[in-house]
Amino acid sequence: SQPLSGRQAAELQSKVVPSKQILHSDNMEMEPETMETKSVTDYFSKLHMGSLVYSCTSKRKNK
Amino acid sequence: SKASRMEASCLELALEGERLCKAGDCRAGVSFFEAAVQVGTEDLKTLSAIYSQLGNAYFYLHEYAKALEYHHHDLTLARTIGDLLGEAKASGNLGNTLKVLGNFEEAIVCCQRHLDISRELNDKVGEARALYNLGNVYHSKGKNVASAGTHDPGELPDDVKNALQKAANYYEENLTIVTKLGDRAAQGRAFGNLGNTHYLLGNFRSAVLAHEQRLLIAKEFGDRSAERRAYSNLGNAYIFLGEFETASEYYKRTLQLARQLKDRAVEAQACYSLGNTYTLLQDYEKAIDYHLKHLVIAQELNDKIGEGRACWSLGNAYTALGNHDQAMHFAERHLEISREVGDRSGELTARLNLSDLQMVLGLSYSTNNSMMSESHVVDNSLNGTRPRVGRRHSMENMELMKLTPEKVQNWN
Repeated sequence: SQPLSGRQAAELQSKVVPSKQILHSDNMEMEPETMETKSVTDYFSKLHMGSLVYSCTSKRKNK
Repeated sequence: SKASRMEASCLELALEGERLCKAGDCRAGVSFFEAAVQVGTEDLKTLSAIYSQLGNAYFYLHEYAKALEYHHHDLTLARTIGDLLGEAKASGNLGNTLKVLGNFEEAIVCCQRHLDISRELNDKVGEARALYNLGNVYHSKGKNVASAGTHDPGELPDDVKNALQKAANYYEENLTIVTKLGDRAAQGRAFGNLGNTHYLLGNFRSAVLAHEQRLLIAKEFGDRSAERRAYSNLGNAYIFLGEFETASEYYKRTLQLARQLKDRAVEAQACYSLGNTYTLLQDYEKAIDYHLKHLVIAQELNDKIGEGRACWSLGNAYTALGNHDQAMHFAERHLEISREVGDRSGELTARLNLSDLQMVLGLSYSTNNSMMSESHVVDNSLNGTRPRVGRRHSMENMELMKLTPEKVQNWN
């Protein structure tokens, strides 16, 4: 086996000092999406089922 | 009557679906919504609301093909019944889903429709939300094209730059409206994504300013996840400003919050970032300390790719310290893992690292013929067509380039 060469060791060391570019991971932290929301209750008033809707919601409140 | 019993049943099922989704159990919510659709209803607005919520539930469950299907149903229905606000909402949701699926051109059309209708209805809240969505689509589009190449932030092809610049403009437009409306939460989101867009454009000072605003708002709301995101993004920006000490402080805050929030994956990422930052600061002991922490979590989470990265980084840091035995150990692990996960580029890097280390240690190659016989493969792949890989891998290739393979042959 051959002796460790100081020059080569130094050379190797200089090679491994990373560029800051290695840090540029795709690890950017994004904000969440916003989805538009609809609800069946939005349309209660427009349903021609007043009493039915009433019974539905009151039943729910009692639960 | 039978019809009204049916309507009641459909409504009840849908209401239960809504309740479950609001409570965070989208999976169960989906079952109730699908049951409601099965029962059916004569009321098309109710059906539209069910489709919309099914679409959103599937979106949150990351089942985007299903989300697309239901948002499409919702859009068709909203148009049929002439519900303009409903059409705007369905278009926005469809746009967001198409974006995730990588169909940016159609996503833009849908989000633009959301914007146009909101303006027509003079719906400022809707307009702002559409602008945010458009910003997100252009950001994703830019990032998507950018990640296919091997350049760094700031060095971008024109189409990428154009998309990102558009994203920035939409976020700015959004910010103008939500600031007028006093909607701090929306401002927070826009600042965060605007910051990330500036980062990709290479405007690191602007990125810092935006993320500082995001941080401020996160603190106002006591939103620790958002706070953690801001610290992490600030760390990234300061790296590119060359202010490594500041970056390390922000990454430490990220790490602290990741631990508080008990998010091991994020904790691992923070350790990795800190390891790299200390490498840039040439404090290799600390770098090794953080890379080891990263390694432990990667193993715990069975994240082979993370483990490989940790070994590669540890190999480099130990080499820098002149601890060639440890360097060798991790280079060997890196090679093993790269083979295991089928990472060709990682495998080549590990091979060259190993042969370089062996050269320094003065080991005989005769004991390892297979490695040398494959060094020609390495040569060819460097001089010929390099595989198109992610940025991190491309950097590994750049490291490879510096390791003149001829020297290895001369040594032999």
